[in-house]
Amino acid sequence: MTELRMMATTGMLGYGYTEEAFRRGISLKPDFIAADGGSMDPGPYYLGEGVPFVSRQAIKRDLGLMLEAGIEHNIPVLIGSAGGGGSDPQVAFVREVAEEIAHEKGLKFRMAVIHAEQPKDYLKKKRAEGRIRPLGPIAELTDEGIDETHRVVGMMGVEPFQKALEDGAQVVIAGRATDASIYSAIPLMRGYEPGLVWHLAKIIECAGQVTTPRFGQDCVLGTLGDGYFLVEPGHPDKRCTRMRIAAHTLYENPSPYHLVEPDGTLVTTGSEYEQIDPRVVKVTGSRFEPANSYTVKLEGVRKTGFRTVFIAGVRDPVLISVIDEFVASCHERVAGEARSLGISQDSYRLNIRVYGKDATMGPREPMRDSVGHEIGLLVDTLADDEDTSKAIMAKARYALLHTDFPGRKCISGNLAIPFSPSDMPVGMTYGFNVWHTMELDDPLEPFPIEMVEV
Amino acid sequence: MTRLVDLAQVLRSKNAGALLCTLDMMFEDEETYRRVRDSGAITPQRIAKLYGVSDNEVAIIPYDVAYAIKITIPRLVPSGDPGDTDVYGAQQHAPLLDIEIPD
Repeated sequence: MTELRMMATTGMLGYGYTEEAFRRGISLKPDFIAADGGSMDPGPYYLGEGVPFVSRQAIKRDLGLMLEAGIEHNIPVLIGSAGGGGSDPQVAFVREVAEEIAHEKGLKFRMAVIHAEQPKDYLKKKRAEGRIRPLGPIAELTDEGIDETHRVVGMMGVEPFQKALEDGAQVVIAGRATDASIYSAIPLMRGYEPGLVWHLAKIIECAGQVTTPRFGQDCVLGTLGDGYFLVEPGHPDKRCTRMRIAAHTLYENPSPYHLVEPDGTLVTTGSEYEQIDPRVVKVTGSRFEPANSYTVKLEGVRKTGFRTVFIAGVRDPVLISVIDEFVASCHERVAGEARSLGISQDSYRLNIRVYGKDATMGPREPMRDSVGHEIGLLVDTLADDEDTSKAIMAKARYALLHTDFPGRKCISGNLAIPFSPSDMPVGMTYGFNVWHTMELDDPLEPFPIEMVEV
Repeated sequence: MTRLVDLAQVLRSKNAGALLCTLDMMFEDEETYRRVRDSGAITPQRIAKLYGVSDNEVAIIPYDVAYAIKITIPRLVPSGDPGDTDVYGAQQHAPLLDIEIPD
């Protein structure tokens, strides 16, 4: 079996990579190059709004080099979870950047655009068939829950990538996809051992994360052979160490031994890691256990209201000593003021966080009584409309600034407010309300492919 | 007794999806790893108490090949929900630092 080589340019399209590593990687003649474009790390907002969490310039730079080299060397260029959340507007955003690059550089290619956003009717049909289940500690999905959602994506496996490539696409801009599917699609088509394929894909999808020294993102090369795979950095001055490679399956996963994909589970209990030269690690023994059914993950968000944010410092030691009681009395005062404006208490949320005490860990903070000479208040309000959100914040600001507390001497104001304007509306917010799996008969069904001649 | 922070090379937390928080501790060498793994100090009961969750919500997985121990607990609320304190979950590891490991 001849070796198959792949290059992951960056762990996140738009996080960057060095041109030096990229050129060296290309000189080693990879069979395809790819990058993951997505993550749910930054929270539900980006999926909700349908916008990327990296800049357009950064996406254009990272994608530009890849498209140019891919077309020049006639190899596939694959992007998964385009635009961050892989929803329709995010995919459209990356597609448009790709078309702009092609136009500017005079590149011509066939491009597949794969959609991952899921219509509510389709989800309701699947739910009625009993094929949607919670993934972890979250409630069963109901029709009301589906109606409440603002946007839902399904996480595709390798099949839509493979179909796009079979149909002649050289560039694939895919919506939400499992990180490892991006890198597994081609090797599985060519008959490489699934355990090794999925494990390699899982390791290189975060690209530069598995290299040392670890400054910034960078390209990583993976090579599949008969019974093994190799991982090495693109950059000549970086190394992959046995430890770093072995440790990678710990990252962001509940278990390092079992990594679930749509059609089965990667099992690394028998994996062996060998440092074959100072830069390269060889892995053997990884297995893939096929599942009885094909399931994709669903990620969805609902609107959680307009947010307004306010930040202020407290330096008065007397106030710091009674801060919990003070915050409670301000909540009460705001509720009364809201009523006078005709705003009921259940139509807004006011959250007053005390930095320097327990704002990072909340009720899990073991040291909440150990407080320094200064604390920070971060206040946020949520309401269905922006006016209410701002109105509650104005009342909260006033209450915090001027409410009395026992022993108060600072009667001209309780807060150091750093900004004018002090209240910052940040727009609509979203919360995850779909974190489920959906069983499919056909892995292509919810992921329509659009072919474009660029 | 030695504090865990003085034995571990890595002590970190991160989301494992939007609903779970995963805590990783990694050690420089096998000896230190085995000492902590076999100390009896890292138990579901202990972690549950530190984080205010119930014992059966704590998963602890030793990972010999990387000299690492992984602990997974539920998040307080889903990532980014109203009231969340740490969207990425990257600063939830501090209570582990002071766990005492017998000499």
